[in-house]
Amino acid sequence: MRQFLYKILFIFSLGLILPQIVFAAQISFDAKTTQTQVGKNFEVILFVNTEQENLNAFEGKVTFPNALLDLKEIRDGNTIVNFWIEKPKAQDGAIVFSGVTPGGFKGSSGLIFSAIFEAKKEGVAKFEVKDARILRNDGTGSAAVLSMIPLEVVISKEARIEIPAIQKIEDREQPELFVPEIARDESISNGKWFIVFATQDKASGVDYYEVRESRQKILTFFSRWRAAESPHVLKDQELRSYIFVKAVDKTGNERIVKLSPQNSLRWYENYENWIILIVIAVVFASGAKKILWKKRER
Amino acid sequence: MYFILPTCIQMNVLKNIRSLSGFIILFLVCSFLVPLVTLASATTLTVTIQSAGICGNNVKESGESCDGSDLGGASCTSQGFSSGILSCTASCTFNTNSCSTTSSGGGGGGGGRGGTVVSSTGAIFSGRAYPKSTITLLKDAQIAATTIAGADANFSISLSGLSGGNYIFSVYSKDNKGIRSSLLTFPVSVTSGTTANVGGIFIAPTIAVDKSEVRRGDNITIFGQSTPASEITISVNSDEEFFVKKLSDASGAYVLYFDTSVLEMGQHNTKSKVALNGDISSFSKVIGFAVGTKNVLTQLPQKTASKADLNGDKKVNLVDFSIAAYWYKRASPPATIDLNGDGKVDLIDFSIMAFYWTG
Repeated sequence: MRQFLYKILFIFSLGLILPQIVFAAQISFDAKTTQTQVGKNFEVILFVNTEQENLNAFEGKVTFPNALLDLKEIRDGNTIVNFWIEKPKAQDGAIVFSGVTPGGFKGSSGLIFSAIFEAKKEGVAKFEVKDARILRNDGTGSAAVLSMIPLEVVISKEARIEIPAIQKIEDREQPELFVPEIARDESISNGKWFIVFATQDKASGVDYYEVRESRQKILTFFSRWRAAESPHVLKDQELRSYIFVKAVDKTGNERIVKLSPQNSLRWYENYENWIILIVIAVVFASGAKKILWKKRER
Repeated sequence: MYFILPTCIQMNVLKNIRSLSGFIILFLVCSFLVPLVTLASATTLTVTIQSAGICGNNVKESGESCDGSDLGGASCTSQGFSSGILSCTASCTFNTNSCSTTSSGGGGGGGGRGGTVVSSTGAIFSGRAYPKSTITLLKDAQIAATTIAGADANFSISLSGLSGGNYIFSVYSKDNKGIRSSLLTFPVSVTSGTTANVGGIFIAPTIAVDKSEVRRGDNITIFGQSTPASEITISVNSDEEFFVKKLSDASGAYVLYFDTSVLEMGQHNTKSKVALNGDISSFSKVIGFAVGTKNVLTQLPQKTASKADLNGDKKVNLVDFSIAAYWYKRASPPATIDLNGDGKVDLIDFSIMAFYWTG
């Protein structure tokens, strides 16, 4: 009798849990090979399958055996994540990531990022996603039910199969055009003006940004490029400078955009104008001198 | 030469010159005209110097190709392209990235269908919104183009200058009362050198209610805009869900006076969707209201800032994201930035912001 009751309870619980598993969003890995050789590189891709749900926020930690693998590169050029809160990076022997897709993403194979590893030692390398959270695009940030499929890659001294080569990124395009915006908010650096920016590079991904501020229009090379992250607090709080924002992708292609000063200089405050004035004055003076000299000679 | 600058300074026009070009013009005027006219001294001198325009004031002025939305009547066609959306850069020059050069091809040979060969990588979006409404297209969550729908609510947006790869595009529209639709998002894979066609976009109706609380038994007015002469299905969500069908008028407007006597006391939601010629939109935003003991009128949604609008500019965009990102995992964030009020800024706050995104 007791066994019968247990069976009924088990079936009842299964009925409650099963639909959740079936409709759970899924985080999974993909690799071109599950076997590799010591000294070879291979790529592991992290995907999300939303299972018909509209999801807009993703975070987690990809763990891998550091004793067996060296993380060589992280690629996020074609990601479904529009804005990274934490760009995928190596931290404490894992890859942490956190980002959002405004409006949400619904699809079966949304690429989050991929990572290239070098096999160091023989063994079985297990890839897992820990502390994962994926949130619904519902205005409350409710958590989607999540299932995760780990990946195992066997590393041997000599692989019996041909190891596929890593696809080299051929990126000749600049990062996409973007429009930075200047803003201020009391909660950031005591209400100082800051600049925000973000762009995409579909091939290799954006590597870093730099900002340059210059009060001069032509002689901008006197001011230095400074590494920057959005939001970047501006040096010139009077907003009298031209602001240049440079986005550089992982293959070195650059996109530079320029913002004109909101409060431009008076003409006499710009030394470029004085240089021009002096040059013109010198030209006038020498011209006048020549004319006078010729008149005297006559 | 010695009296040139003092003369100009006396004229008190120097301070109005901001740009180099303005300065050179002034210098030449001061160098040649002023001395000549002053020497002649027969007339009273009046010199008008038009100062260079201020970039960013949304008015195209001297020295600017455009300024914000003021393109001075220019278009992609006038810039030598055949189609697309012309916009203005932050430095007040034309941005032709969304213009495209197309040339007709195909055709001939037994009446084969003419095609269009587009030289750049791009995408064309078409669908239905609301008559004469403004449609905003977001590319990877940032505004890429805007257009105005026709009187029949149809719209088309052409975007070029893309790279080959995966994009998340979103569209939304604002109705004649300024109420914004929900954000319709779709991933598109664009192949380099081709143009992706994304058709059949059907933006969900806008929706609003006249009361935040309604006395049980009184009517609540549910209204909005959609495509003209379309079937609007309005859902009032209670323990039991009520569906009411209405027909939108020639301007796409619909209104429902819903008798709340069938509803329980407490919180309820309403949403709507539209159907036309077999096409059905997704559901609109969900609007909440309470059934209680008194009537409390409410403002239209566009007059109240979204809670994710951290800097109060009536937009939820990269600026708000950056403000939240500054406070990510920092101690004691301001209450306005901690959107779910749990004492920290984490992924949930960003998810809430992403839901209310406007670009």
